[in-house]
Amino acid sequence: MNDAVLATPDVLVDHLFRNRAGQMVAYLTRLLGPEHIDLAEEVVQEALLKALQNWPYSGIPQNPAGWLFRVARNAALDAIRHRTLAGEKNVEFAAERIRDVEAAVGDGTHIEDQLRDDELRMVLMCCHPALPRDARVALSLKTVGGFSTREIARAFLSDEPTIAQRLVRAKRQIRESAIAFELPLGDDLALRLDSALEVIYLMFNEGYAAQSGEGLVRQDLCGEALRLGRLLAKSSVGTPQAHALVALIAFQAARLPARVDSAGELVLLEDQDRTLWDQKLVALGFHHFSQCAEGAHMSAYHVQAAIAAVYAGAQQSTHIDWPAILSLYDRLMEISPSPVVALNRAVAIAKVEGPQAALAALRPLAEDRSLRNYHLLPAVQGRLLLNLGDHEAAADCFRQALERPCSEPEKRFLQRKLRTCM
Amino acid sequence: MPSYMLLLYNDPANWQNMSPEDIQKAIQKFMAWGGKLRTSGIHLASHKLADDAGKVIRGRSQVRVTDGPYSETKEVLGGYYLIKAANYNEAVERSRDCPALEYGGSVEVRQVDPMSEAN
Repeated sequence: MNDAVLATPDVLVDHLFRNRAGQMVAYLTRLLGPEHIDLAEEVVQEALLKALQNWPYSGIPQNPAGWLFRVARNAALDAIRHRTLAGEKNVEFAAERIRDVEAAVGDGTHIEDQLRDDELRMVLMCCHPALPRDARVALSLKTVGGFSTREIARAFLSDEPTIAQRLVRAKRQIRESAIAFELPLGDDLALRLDSALEVIYLMFNEGYAAQSGEGLVRQDLCGEALRLGRLLAKSSVGTPQAHALVALIAFQAARLPARVDSAGELVLLEDQDRTLWDQKLVALGFHHFSQCAEGAHMSAYHVQAAIAAVYAGAQQSTHIDWPAILSLYDRLMEISPSPVVALNRAVAIAKVEGPQAALAALRPLAEDRSLRNYHLLPAVQGRLLLNLGDHEAAADCFRQALERPCSEPEKRFLQRKLRTCM
Repeated sequence: MPSYMLLLYNDPANWQNMSPEDIQKAIQKFMAWGGKLRTSGIHLASHKLADDAGKVIRGRSQVRVTDGPYSETKEVLGGYYLIKAANYNEAVERSRDCPALEYGGSVEVRQVDPMSEAN
């Protein structure tokens, strides 16, 4: 094979298999019908394994994605032939559709457009409101993201059988409710988009949440959320909300490299070394942020993106426009009030009006049941009390925070704070 | 310099649960390993064998063709590399970091008889 790449192992772009697996499953699901997602997944896995069996000897083909598509497509045709022979009805027409489609992957932009469209439909199908919320996230990661059940379980600190069962149920639901692979219209589309943005938001938050143990797969989760968000925002059904969400994700992801220092210790936003921020992601954030301003509707994503933009836009942490952030949090409390938003708002109050005012704003939150196990409430209270010089009360707060579940770096951070109170 | 045949065996069951990401990483390891053989100029040939069991042909007066050989282990012969090496030691050293081992497979090293290469 002359056109194979033989000596360079790095020719495969990062996550090529994962991303292409998602595309191929989406592409084949369109041709085979949503009731055959399993078949689509099987033949795609078969194609990837064929690559593993062949490429070490023959070299990586000039167009790896095209190779994978061709093999997956042929495997699908084979599988259909077997099922037809076994007496299964309604699969032969799928073979016709596959044969009709030119396998001209990589021979122009046309097929890439089609693939993006397939991915988009797949995301919107996985985010059908009839499916349970946690199943939507898992299914999106599995079918569009190309994550394995094990990887999803690891990312969600869950176990494999739980996730596997969730996926089986979701697929059954798709079959039983005959959820179509078509782009929904009108109100249905709006609902589906809202759900998709929520799924992407959850995906990102899960990945962004303090890195514990499986840091890498969580980082991949953030990457996938960003990829899907951009796919959605740039598509024909992209909305200002989608741009706002992508901006928010990009700004926050940009800060990831600065969030932990070389010793693995947590660094608070205001103490972060801004030169470590990923400038490409910051630029991407501003790019999408400028596009989210179109339209009259101001969503919670808009406000959160605006807050992140204020942080990202400040030259130094001492130059953060705290009054602007506070008014944005006021706005967020109107649009999407929650105890966590109130807690974050209190941090802004502390910067604008001082720690006393912030502590007063936090007082009602102590009664909130949903924050009973949330370590950040006493952690913030502790820092405010420390600023006021009340070391004893601050120490109590840090001890309280340490009793609640949190990640290892956070635990060490709180212990350091507790020691400064002594 | 003599030639050696590296026969790569694997157990396909070990691959069933690999994620797309895992598969890509495995391929990259194999490419790095094979790449080293190629860049050091000792690589002569390499081929993957077809997934079927192959055929065995026996019989003196009446030739019989059967499927097989089926090995007694679950391992299958996936493919081979033909390389140049000074001696068995070197050929074995070259195989020691073959990713097939990491994925539960094995490598069989056989020297091509120099007498057969003489002509």
